[in-house]
Amino acid sequence: MRREESLIRSLVEMADTLVDDYDVIDLLTGLADRCVSLLGASAAGVMLASPGGDLRLVASSSEAMRVLEVFELQAQEGPCLDAFHTCSRVEHERLQAGAGPWPRFAAMAVEAGFQSVSALPLRLRTVTVGALNLFHVGQAPMDERDVVVAQAFADLATISLLQYRAAMEGQRLNEQLSAALSNRVLIEQAKGVIAERAGVDPAVAFSRLRAYARNHNLLLTNVAQAAVDGTLEPSAWERGPDL
Amino acid sequence: MSGERLRTILAELSVPGAPAARLCDVSTRLIGVSGTGIMLMSGDVPQGSLCSTNEASALIEDLQYTLGEGPSVDAYRYNQVVHEPDLANPAVARWSAFSPLALSAGVRAVFGFPFRMGGARLGAVNLYRDRPGPLSDDQHADALVMADVIATWVLDVQAGAPEGDLGARLEDGGDFHYIVQNAAGMVSVQLGVSVTVALIRLRAYAFSHDRALNDVARDIVSRALRLE
Repeated sequence: MRREESLIRSLVEMADTLVDDYDVIDLLTGLADRCVSLLGASAAGVMLASPGGDLRLVASSSEAMRVLEVFELQAQEGPCLDAFHTCSRVEHERLQAGAGPWPRFAAMAVEAGFQSVSALPLRLRTVTVGALNLFHVGQAPMDERDVVVAQAFADLATISLLQYRAAMEGQRLNEQLSAALSNRVLIEQAKGVIAERAGVDPAVAFSRLRAYARNHNLLLTNVAQAAVDGTLEPSAWERGPDL
Repeated sequence: MSGERLRTILAELSVPGAPAARLCDVSTRLIGVSGTGIMLMSGDVPQGSLCSTNEASALIEDLQYTLGEGPSVDAYRYNQVVHEPDLANPAVARWSAFSPLALSAGVRAVFGFPFRMGGARLGAVNLYRDRPGPLSDDQHADALVMADVIATWVLDVQAGAPEGDLGARLEDGGDFHYIVQNAAGMVSVQLGVSVTVALIRLRAYAFSHDRALNDVARDIVSRALRLE
């Protein structure tokens, strides 16, 4: 498939999820995945702001523990936090362990195999809800055209989060962000349940969870809830597409 | 966690011991409502009230316990925030037994906020006011943060947490390190318990061995440690 076709297809697929009952975590994981598969990022992650004002990871293109930890650290410092606070793009930055604007973050990111990073705000008009973080194993900046597409993906994801435009707009948004963060915690618990039942690590558990939801046309969060409640038969996790 | 709202709540709660009643007092004062009640729930059934600020909020808790309906019950059951800004003239008729009794005690607006940690659904906070009207955006955000604090507090207390430990762990964001949640899922299967009990067991182990929750979780996930 030509690149333009892939991009258009992605935008249509993402827009399509907004019409129906959709799963925020699944949508944002798809956003992160596309930044890797279509735009050449080595890893991508989405962080959302909690009602308390701190950033937490909700979706990542990689479930590898060391990658998740690099994202988690950004509750304290890093390009995501800066993109969120300034409501604007954090330009491509080469990383040096212990140096630059985010010394601790840079050290962990370098250790995880990344050499450069950038971040885009998740923003719609005056409201910023989080940030999209792009990691690269090389030092070269992303093609500017790819950055434009990444921002388009991020905007679409933001619209999906902000689609309740009722009277209590700010409150609905905070409830939705709170629910998304809570659902991510639920998914992490489900990863643990599946990891133990199937004898795999949590990253593989996530791909099985996601595959099961896809194959059965169920929302990721509902499958995670069933895993935690023990209401899905354990055979559901026994095999699946492993990483 | 690092938000300004959280820091304010923790500063207020930092009195040694922080008994349950303090949670309700701090919530009422910081959010700016007439009263707060915290109901512990399990499997759609109210298990009892952790605290309530005054007679009206105690009544709200008791009524829900007795009648099985009301804002906290719905917040827990549907796992979402429940708003009733005008109990005397509700937009949607509900709580036919609860509402007249609450109104006669001077309650005019009620709000229910679930508190949970992922799949560990622990209960709901009830906020009430003696005049009708919605919560402001700030009050609402404060209440959401308060609900997170209460969730951590309830798990800590059940795990026999040392006094004064809550603030440190909340600021460290302990429960939001995902490895802790992965470990809770694994422990729930290993011990055949709910994820709520698994979260409590993990904490109890960390407290009794004087270790960080995060480190214990790491050992569980790498299968270097197995709780008995």
